[in-house]
Amino acid sequence: MGNLLFEIGCEELPASFVGPAIAQLTHAFESECDKVGLTHGPISSFATPRRLALLVQEVSDRTAAVESVAQGPSIQAAFDANGEPKIAARKFAESVGRSIDRLDRVETPKGTYLSARVIKNGQDAPVLLPQILGKCLRRISFPKSMRWGDVDVAFARPIQWIVAMLDQAVLPLAFGDVASGSTTFGHRAHAPGPQPISAPDGYEALLRDAHVLASRSARARILAECLKEVAASIGATSVPDAALEEQVVDLLEAVHPIVGSFDPKYLKLPREVLIQEMKTHQRYFALASSDGRLLPKFVAISNTQVRNPDVSRRGFEEVLRARLADAQFFFDEDRKLPLAKRAERLTRRTWFKPLGTMDDKAKRIGKLAQVLAIQAGVSGIGSELERSAALCKADLESGMVGEFPELQGVMGRVYALADGEAEAIAVAIEEHYLPRHSGDALPVGNVGALLGMADRIDSIVGLFALGRKPTGAKDEAGVRRACLAVISIALHHNYHFKLSAILDEAYALLEPMLASVKGASPKEALVAEILTFFRGRLATVFGEGSKPDIVDAVLAAGIDDLAATRDRVAALRGLSLSPQFASLVTTFKRAANIVEKQARQVPPGPVRKELLGKLVGSGAEKHLHLAIEAQREAIAAATIRGDFVGVLAAVTELEAPVAAFFNEVMVMCDDIELRTNRIRLLQSVAALLSNQVDLSRIQST
Amino acid sequence: MYFQDMVQRLQSYWAALGCIVLQPYDLEVGAGTMAPATFLRALGPEPWNAVYVQPCRRPADGRYGDNPKRLFQHHQLQVLLKPAPKNLQSLYLESLKEIGIDPLDHDLRFVEDDWESPTLGAWGLGWEVWCDGQEVTQFTYFQQCGGFDCRPVSGELTYGLERIATFLQGVSSVFDVAWTEGVLYREVFHTNEVEMSRYAFERSDPKQLLALFDSHEAECERLVRDCKLPLPAYDSALKCSHIFNLLDARGTISVTERAQFIKRVRDNARRCAASYLAARSALGYPLCKTQWRVGLQPPILDGGRASEAWDAIRVDANAHENLGG
Repeated sequence: MGNLLFEIGCEELPASFVGPAIAQLTHAFESECDKVGLTHGPISSFATPRRLALLVQEVSDRTAAVESVAQGPSIQAAFDANGEPKIAARKFAESVGRSIDRLDRVETPKGTYLSARVIKNGQDAPVLLPQILGKCLRRISFPKSMRWGDVDVAFARPIQWIVAMLDQAVLPLAFGDVASGSTTFGHRAHAPGPQPISAPDGYEALLRDAHVLASRSARARILAECLKEVAASIGATSVPDAALEEQVVDLLEAVHPIVGSFDPKYLKLPREVLIQEMKTHQRYFALASSDGRLLPKFVAISNTQVRNPDVSRRGFEEVLRARLADAQFFFDEDRKLPLAKRAERLTRRTWFKPLGTMDDKAKRIGKLAQVLAIQAGVSGIGSELERSAALCKADLESGMVGEFPELQGVMGRVYALADGEAEAIAVAIEEHYLPRHSGDALPVGNVGALLGMADRIDSIVGLFALGRKPTGAKDEAGVRRACLAVISIALHHNYHFKLSAILDEAYALLEPMLASVKGASPKEALVAEILTFFRGRLATVFGEGSKPDIVDAVLAAGIDDLAATRDRVAALRGLSLSPQFASLVTTFKRAANIVEKQARQVPPGPVRKELLGKLVGSGAEKHLHLAIEAQREAIAAATIRGDFVGVLAAVTELEAPVAAFFNEVMVMCDDIELRTNRIRLLQSVAALLSNQVDLSRIQST
Repeated sequence: MYFQDMVQRLQSYWAALGCIVLQPYDLEVGAGTMAPATFLRALGPEPWNAVYVQPCRRPADGRYGDNPKRLFQHHQLQVLLKPAPKNLQSLYLESLKEIGIDPLDHDLRFVEDDWESPTLGAWGLGWEVWCDGQEVTQFTYFQQCGGFDCRPVSGELTYGLERIATFLQGVSSVFDVAWTEGVLYREVFHTNEVEMSRYAFERSDPKQLLALFDSHEAECERLVRDCKLPLPAYDSALKCSHIFNLLDARGTISVTERAQFIKRVRDNARRCAASYLAARSALGYPLCKTQWRVGLQPPILDGGRASEAWDAIRVDANAHENLGG
């Protein structure tokens, strides 16, 4: 058994590539070893912008021999009438390396065949590993990769060296213009020269001596500790930012914090602007006092332990100073024109070409939001919706958002407040962009929530009409995200509205623009397609807490009211845990099957009361009819209350009468009138469930 | 270090490595990449190693000389090495030492930057090089130019000279940079900034510019199509690009028109690239017959300033050399 070290040394990888690349490399190694049956012990991985490495303990010396039986031609095909071997027999014998008389016979249902036991020898790890590692290298894929020099391989950035060692021995492999060896390189500034590796085990320590923290998790831990320590040393805390920490970890091979400061006069700029300036462009961490207010200070993380930190600090501060001066300039310029005036410029900003300008979009959002408010039963916010819709996109025309697109909405709120707009309107402008990503905060106020839904539904309908719907993993226009946002907002605020009606309305508002779109689907087809798409997203959302067939049974019965759909899923999940659920499903499935099979012969129609209970003396028929009448009312009442547990309780009440009906009454009797009437009875049972749940989707256990 | 000394040192460094020192291209360009010594020379199989300063005009960045960092015209030191030597990053870091930026004194970082020029149909991958948080150089491995794959791959270094000088001299405004003893950047270029900004934002004649754009565009097409003269044609394409920038700064181009103009410039750049490749091929790629390659070891200038660490790095470089050969 031996220890393996594999290191890919490259020019600085983009920070966002480092994590996925090392995960892929680890996975590729495990699966390539599995494929050939090479066993190994634990894997440690290392990743910095300049290296991706695996240290694998206890790689077995060789793979085990594998015995198998090879089947050859049938006896008839192998030998002629005289028992002389034909060509097929000779070929088979040759392929398994035996003489014909030493081949075995095997009996199969098709007859007797020639066969032979074949032992495939194990292979030595030093032979297998170079191939495995070469495959691993090629299996890493990046969002963008490049060629270099005049070689025909591609990687995220040029590869500079490869270390491949099994204990002390170099495993030979090549990639483009690089051949493997046993030499790594240390920190660019502190230890730029070659570092010979004596044994795989010493890798991490060797690099530590060469000023490199090779382990990603160790680097993350040290960064977090450094930030805490440095902030505490000046009585501050660093403003938490996990995304920035992760990015910085993948930008560095070593962690050396430097605290800098800026002119306190810039603290008058909005907090978000200050943080954005520090974070986005400079990757500095903002510092705050114990009461949470920003301090005119930051922590920059240097990759180098510079000889005189004051020199670097001056540099870091000067860059930020220039940026803050720019931000101040944009802020002052932006403030010269009120947001309402700025909004007029949206007439010159195209959204998606045939779908008009941002001004057109803002107007549609306003109208659609009003309809949504009425449908969702939110009253008394008409004028706020109108004003915030008119202003919600105006900050796109500000210098600050031009500089920092991620501040859209935030600047809208800041400028609206400064203009003296009502707080609710300012907040709605910011909130209508929420959630910006999965897991983000949701709008708190109704105005922002409804605007945000209207904005996204307008986008979804428009983009579907343009054919820019998501396919597979691709979703350039963000339709999937928009759809999920609509769902989360509707669920969070418990808005009940008819989604199909809102999609119709959105389509109507877009219709004048869509007239010029060639090959756009007709409205009905488009709305149906979007509803199907929503159904897919709902399956994902609800799938987290429920079994797929439970979710499917509810979604199949309709999703037009999103919030109600969620409640229906919860109610059915509750019911599915009860002991009688299985028999309930069986009973109703049976009813549904009959209705479906007879659908053509017996079109839906009223049950004729006078025919009930004829021929058969038992009261099962009448009883069922009475039970249906009673539960129909209970179900209607519970539905109006939004009480889906109540709905299902009423459905449960029907089980016994339906079961009794099946036991005592012959549905498919010869009398056509009676048969029709009995099927109609079952139809009315099915009808009670039709908009609630489709039990035929439940998997029997 | 004075501005002009800094430029000279960088040029000497790359010259000593085997680059030819070119003079700036005498047409208006928005970036050093657009000069034919980069854009066209990056195409095709022939080697090319050049260093030159290129004044770059970006009308929309003009600030009437009021902004300490933004300029109508700034200067780039452009280095194009084709093929890019394996140790280009090390060679580049050594060049910074020549102007007093030692990696042990500063936080030098290669931060991802995907470079793309929509007007040239060109893209590459590489980095912004940061020195204590300040972007000082754009470092790019060209992948495509004018829509053609770059084979071999060129390495392009674009030093932002004003930024580096501001940083090195510890001043906060580019106008306070000392050009040489007793002469400030302000005295050389401030009036130029004021006049050029006034021209670009207030006094340029959009109607005439539009007409000029059309006629240079037509000329470029004609020269490629009828005359097979890619070099003069490319001059016309460059003129179109600059005129477009002027129109853009003047605010006469709407968002949708903008994309249209960019496409028109790009289409011509592509035509020139195709025509240039055909012309070089017809000549039998004369530079392929030379042994022109830059050295892998940085030159010792200034009485032996090459770094202590270099011996170690050289081992590395030689190893690659042997493998490649």
